[in-house]
Amino acid sequence: MTLLTEPRAARKAEPARGGSTASRARRRRRPPLAPYLFVAPFLLIFLGFGLYPMAFALQLSFTNWRGAGVLEWVGFDNYIYLLTSEDFWGSLANSGVLWLLVIPGQVIVALAVAVALAKARLRNLFIAALVAPFVTPLVAMAQVWIVLFDRDFGAVNLGLRDLGLPPVGWLTDPALAKPTLALLVLWRTTGYAVILLLAGLQSIPGQVYEAARLDGAGAWTQFWRITLPLMMRTVSFYVVIGTLTVFQLFAEPYVVTDGGPFNSTRTAGLYLYDHITNSDLGLGSANSFLLVIMVFALSLAAVRILRSREDA
Amino acid sequence: MSESTRYRGQVQHRLGVVGRYTLLVAMAVLSLAPLVWMLLSAFKPGAEIITDPFRFRVTTMTLDNFRTMLETVRLELGFRNTAIVVLAKGMLTMVFCPLAGFAFAKYEFPGKRLLFGTVLITLMLPTLVLLVPLLLEMSELGWVNSFPALILPGAVDAFGVFWMRQIVAAIPNELLDAGRVDGCGDLRLFYNVVLPVIRPGLAALAVLTFINIYNDFVWPVVVATDPEYQTLQVMLSTLSQRITTNQLGADWASVWGQLLAASTVAAIPVFVIFVLLQRHLIKGVMAGSLKG
Repeated sequence: MTLLTEPRAARKAEPARGGSTASRARRRRRPPLAPYLFVAPFLLIFLGFGLYPMAFALQLSFTNWRGAGVLEWVGFDNYIYLLTSEDFWGSLANSGVLWLLVIPGQVIVALAVAVALAKARLRNLFIAALVAPFVTPLVAMAQVWIVLFDRDFGAVNLGLRDLGLPPVGWLTDPALAKPTLALLVLWRTTGYAVILLLAGLQSIPGQVYEAARLDGAGAWTQFWRITLPLMMRTVSFYVVIGTLTVFQLFAEPYVVTDGGPFNSTRTAGLYLYDHITNSDLGLGSANSFLLVIMVFALSLAAVRILRSREDA
Repeated sequence: MSESTRYRGQVQHRLGVVGRYTLLVAMAVLSLAPLVWMLLSAFKPGAEIITDPFRFRVTTMTLDNFRTMLETVRLELGFRNTAIVVLAKGMLTMVFCPLAGFAFAKYEFPGKRLLFGTVLITLMLPTLVLLVPLLLEMSELGWVNSFPALILPGAVDAFGVFWMRQIVAAIPNELLDAGRVDGCGDLRLFYNVVLPVIRPGLAALAVLTFINIYNDFVWPVVVATDPEYQTLQVMLSTLSQRITTNQLGADWASVWGQLLAASTVAAIPVFVIFVLLQRHLIKGVMAGSLKG
């Protein structure tokens, strides 16, 4: 199987300036109408359903609009309200805890699995098994989680009972609801992390390992000295993706817990959705922008931290 | 090298192999177990799911869960709506993403850098952020609970454009020039020269697009509140909503059976595609890693 698309390519990708002589000759030959037409559908949809709503939302975030009536300017009130609201920070804290429960452990496990996969037989079979959760409809699996982890009749607790253990309130105990939800996220996304890391792993040239072997480096030394440093870029790329995923988490808590018990699984995404159901659209818009800023800042920080370790 | 160090090396190697496959098998089992459990349990009588969750007997297998589920959920409507959205949105994406990718990869034109910058920014934009603004726009247009609302936002997505650009860029310019010498216009060039070459990439894009649109939940659940327009995934979530909001009577067992049956039915199309086109899919998932 060819594992293509290295994350590095993404960052470097920029339109080539000037282009080849051939394309320059083409440009002289005819007025460039075709490329504009080719890009037009993408552009139209972007302008209509990307840029326009964003601009509108930016304006709304300074109003107290509730879906009808005149726009009433309220300045930074929405932002101040959110930034001083316990609910807003609570939802962010919930997402933060979920991040801690999911990302660090997942990266370590996925890295181990990717290394194991790189040399394994039946690789495609293992990959298929690992990716299956990722393509399964989320809603379907979230519903299975409800049935598996129910306190009274869930399969997990019945299994524990057979082992002579007391029932556990997986989804009803505020302290456990987050880990149970994290388990669903882990189950769904780890295979994806593995594939991504495997692609990074395969882009390391074999000669590097050969040279290390000649110098007498064992498997363990090779991992610490070659694999890990050269994988830092791919790992940081995954951390960014994972961070985006966790902070946008919506469907899982929406279906499995609806934010409960006691708001312990009300994630940033679910809190945003609450504004919509309450028709607090000005507030919701402000919340959107705060979320974007935070997600971008987090991603940047994650990349920074991992990069600095790469240089060390 | 002495005999003993070589022996130790061999033992370490053996241990490494055992450890490696133990890890892989464990991960594979963990990944598949919930799916297998869902599939098998969906065919069990509702009461047995609760009393005996890990015992599966062929003799008591039944389609009852599916039957009652079909009475509760308008699944055929969900399937129809999803099919419409997948087809329309998928078509838009499959036609216009490669076209835009072609323009970005093989043409020079004023404003190209700005436009491509737009693609990159859209790529990074969290989908959740657009939720409120888009919903507002839809209500302004009177599009809440309509197919255009389900189809147009998110069609011809930046990721597809970006990815297709990467793939078209790999086509040698000589090939395109040869096409031009043969008198191909821009569109013919795309159709006759570019498309045949990028077919594997298109297949991967198609599989990934199908799965993404089929599984999409956040936008449909917000914009389609009327069952007439709900996609399959949204329709499904109404079942679990009744559980989390405690709207249930005494009949837990039956609802759980229905839940599992509905989840199984919803997963089947994806599994079929997955088994048939796994190779393309993995390629797509890896490229899809670029999607935020």
